[in-house]
Amino acid sequence: MDKLLRNKKAIFIFMAPGLILFTFVLFIPICQSLYYSLCDYKATSILGPKFVGLKNYRDLMKDDTFWIALKNSLFFLVFSCVTQLIMGLFLAGLLTNIEKGKNLFKNIIYLPCVLSSAALGLLWMFIFSPKFGINKLIETLGVEGFVKNGPLWLFDTSGFIVLPMWVIAFVALWQYVGQSMMLYMAQISGISKSLYEASYIDGCSKARSFFHITLPLIRPMVATAMSLNAIGSLKFFDLVFNMTEGGPNHKTEVLATHLYQQGFKYSKYGYASAIGIVLLILCLIVTAFINKVVKTEQYEM
Amino acid sequence: MKRKILATLLSAFMAASLFTGCGSGSNGSSSASADGVQEITWMFWDDLDATEDLISLGYKDTLDRFNEQYKGKYHVTAVTTNLEEYYAKLNALVQSGETPDVFICSPGPQLSDYVTPDGASPADGLCMNLDEALAQDGWKDTFAGDAVFSQQTYDGSVYAIPLNTAAACCFYNTEMFEDAGAKVPTNFDEMIDACEKLQAKGYTPITISAGTAWCLSMVAGYLCEAEGVDLAALADGSASWEDGKLEAACDKLLALSKYFQPTAAGDTNDVATANFYNREAAMLIQGSWAIGQINGETKKSDPEFQNICGVFAFPGVDRIIAKSDSLCISKDTKCPEAAIALVKMFTDDTAQKYTAEVGGKIPVTNVEYDASKAPAQLSYVMDVFGNAKGTFGFYNESLPTTEAGSHFDDTMVSVFLGDLTPADAAKDMEEYYNENCR
Amino acid sequence: MKKIKPIRIIIYIFLIAMAIIYLAPLLWVLMVSFKDSNHEVMTAPFSLPQSPSFDNFTFAWTAGKLGVATLNSFIVCAVALIFSMVIGSMAAFGIARLRWKLSKLSLTYFLLGMMIPVHCLLIPLFTRFTRMGLSNTLTGIIIPYVTFSLPITIYIMVGFFEGMPNELIESACIDGATIYQIFAKVCLPLGKTGLFVTGLMTFVGNWNELLLAMVFISDDFKKTLPVSLSKFVGPYNTNYTQMFAAIIIAIIPTVVVYCAFSNQIVDGLTAGAVKG
Repeated sequence: MDKLLRNKKAIFIFMAPGLILFTFVLFIPICQSLYYSLCDYKATSILGPKFVGLKNYRDLMKDDTFWIALKNSLFFLVFSCVTQLIMGLFLAGLLTNIEKGKNLFKNIIYLPCVLSSAALGLLWMFIFSPKFGINKLIETLGVEGFVKNGPLWLFDTSGFIVLPMWVIAFVALWQYVGQSMMLYMAQISGISKSLYEASYIDGCSKARSFFHITLPLIRPMVATAMSLNAIGSLKFFDLVFNMTEGGPNHKTEVLATHLYQQGFKYSKYGYASAIGIVLLILCLIVTAFINKVVKTEQYEM
Repeated sequence: MKRKILATLLSAFMAASLFTGCGSGSNGSSSASADGVQEITWMFWDDLDATEDLISLGYKDTLDRFNEQYKGKYHVTAVTTNLEEYYAKLNALVQSGETPDVFICSPGPQLSDYVTPDGASPADGLCMNLDEALAQDGWKDTFAGDAVFSQQTYDGSVYAIPLNTAAACCFYNTEMFEDAGAKVPTNFDEMIDACEKLQAKGYTPITISAGTAWCLSMVAGYLCEAEGVDLAALADGSASWEDGKLEAACDKLLALSKYFQPTAAGDTNDVATANFYNREAAMLIQGSWAIGQINGETKKSDPEFQNICGVFAFPGVDRIIAKSDSLCISKDTKCPEAAIALVKMFTDDTAQKYTAEVGGKIPVTNVEYDASKAPAQLSYVMDVFGNAKGTFGFYNESLPTTEAGSHFDDTMVSVFLGDLTPADAAKDMEEYYNENCR
Repeated sequence: MKKIKPIRIIIYIFLIAMAIIYLAPLLWVLMVSFKDSNHEVMTAPFSLPQSPSFDNFTFAWTAGKLGVATLNSFIVCAVALIFSMVIGSMAAFGIARLRWKLSKLSLTYFLLGMMIPVHCLLIPLFTRFTRMGLSNTLTGIIIPYVTFSLPITIYIMVGFFEGMPNELIESACIDGATIYQIFAKVCLPLGKTGLFVTGLMTFVGNWNELLLAMVFISDDFKKTLPVSLSKFVGPYNTNYTQMFAAIIIAIIPTVVVYCAFSNQIVDGLTAGAVKG
């Protein structure tokens, strides 16, 4: 049998398709992207990429829109990590404690996770459109003149983090909180009942046992869910693209939309690659950070 | 059994997808098909099957006429996309060596990107030198004059053919003006006065899009022109953006912005235009190509609207912003005869007559058209043209590079939103020019 | 008799409120999509359609090209699903079961792929694929989709293959089966659950993917559902009823499938995410 499992030809046949595909479609392009980010490379260039060193990165430092995009991406990162953690845990805690309708509510809250964010982005764009949608609803419910005087939602541009960013962040929370909730629920249901029973005998309230038993035990899952959230929010594109396209005046640009604009609207391949590399580095840092800080040791269950 | 059916189905799908994959590899470049018909491609920025824009529909007619007239000899296929992603898609085709045989392009830096890429000489660019073709059969004589080629000429040779000219004007709702007792303004103060009256009557005076930045920057361009901003002097460094002219223009823009619809910051071009033809706003500042759009959209829902839609020149300026969409022929086309024949068809009498009578754009040739058939707005636009002392390009297409144009657009939007003071905007433009353009 | 605690009631009220927040937007869009004019949307957006009409759907399906987009999405996702499952489980088997020096290293290599955002691959892939004539083809997006699905597929399947008892393979060996037969006839059927989970994740992920498809495909007849939908806004963003019908068309297949298999899908996707 050992011979069978050490068969060089078989190993090659099993591994080759995956490795080749992975190398050519993922690994080599990453290296290329790194190289392009050091080049002056426009789509209309007849000469191809021209090496210019760190010029693209220096330009990035001077690009106001890049800083806005970075700020917004980091805002998303923090917002979604925090709110998803709180809401996700809260919902998971509630749902594990009820009997009737548990599956129904779980499935309803999870539903948007499987829907296309492109479609949901459009849907919410219409809901937050100042002429009808939410403003109109509030007026119909009795607030006079709300359509005229209510907030402009996606068109508002004042403040350090503009209102549209909060709106988009809310929609993202709405869409993806189901994912975190499910992860936490799966973990909570794995905790043995006897632990809780013991704590109730000791006179613990439900809330106390949540903080003292549940939380520490699901800590590794918190790390997993947070890294998922973090990478997801850095890569964030669909919702922003379909709700505001980065507008008004680039105020809601995130790294991904800025990259798309620069790369495929202005055809600045080199510059866009530099944004891509920044994004990649951020992803790596954030994952490493979360795993270091949140995921300490695993408890035995 | 079930599994077998599934497997067959899935492999059929796979085969189908691979087939569709391969079959399309050749799109984008000309080829002679088996029956000797020369295939060429024509790339455009609107979906010809879905559009209601009358100019786009006219282009579709022209393609159909071409395929009919040259049946068995040439055949053209349209490659369409939308305006936002047009240049990205065109660039992709250029990169893959499948440059469309004929493609549309805005004059200015966009066109320069293709005629003189990387600052190369036009002879090494991507577009065909059209001098020879224009000289043949007196094609050039059909045009309204050499001036129509001014933006398409590089090193003394013509590299693109203009199709029609559009001017940026103010469209206005005559009913609302009458009701409010507002008069057609002839200078900036009267403009503010008219807006004031309209607002007092409860109308939204102006609909504009700052979400589509060039729309706002078009107004800024007019205001700059009124202040005497000299783009050529700015480009070579003999003038400075900080000489107070841009600042004054921005101040005026801010004064005017009090009369914009509240959602102007985010509204796209289409939404802003719709505000006007849905009778929600009194004025729309837009290129005269909007005539085709407005009349196309209101044809069924509000046929009366054509009659109350007036046009006046942007007040306080002598010259008007004008622009000609142009067709380029790829230098690498395998069938230059077919490509030239196609472009010729776009400037023949039938097409140019349609341009004026239905599309409401100004023809580039000397064609005689029936003014009574043309939309009323066209004659207003022609009047505007007639009274103007000259034309100038869109600001975002008249600056040294496309990026400088976008930067100007963005700066103007920032001023409008209050993120930059007019003085800061001037400083910002000056810094940008020093770094990138001079 | 059991007493109903007030806290229960509060919890249920809260959950019902949540359910409304989740379902109301979808139901609203569904309702508006049956209205027959923009005017009605603007004046009475929250009342039932006066004369429900199906025209918006017909328009979005044909002129909006959502019909052909749905087909494209289906082709792309189905093909990508099959290839990623075959290639992924083969590699997973190679890593988990075959004995060679670099197997651990190659697993790490694949897993690195999970951290890489698609965005920084767009430009190199796009330029290369255009040169190869693959841009603007469905094949051109299937290849990256398969590749991006590999890490998660391999990760989950390695877990499944490693968990299988050695005796199984040994006994198959004694029966004279080749290594390929062991893979296809013994291990793969046993890893069905794993395949289902990864398949589900792959399919849902690819079905909803927008950015890559938008960059790679420009031909209206080859666009996938999210792209066609996003592009539909451009020319028709003032035709609300048709826009809403388009949104409904885009989400209805997923909603229907979800309603039918919600428990399996939720558990499957979570199982996948837990492992990932």
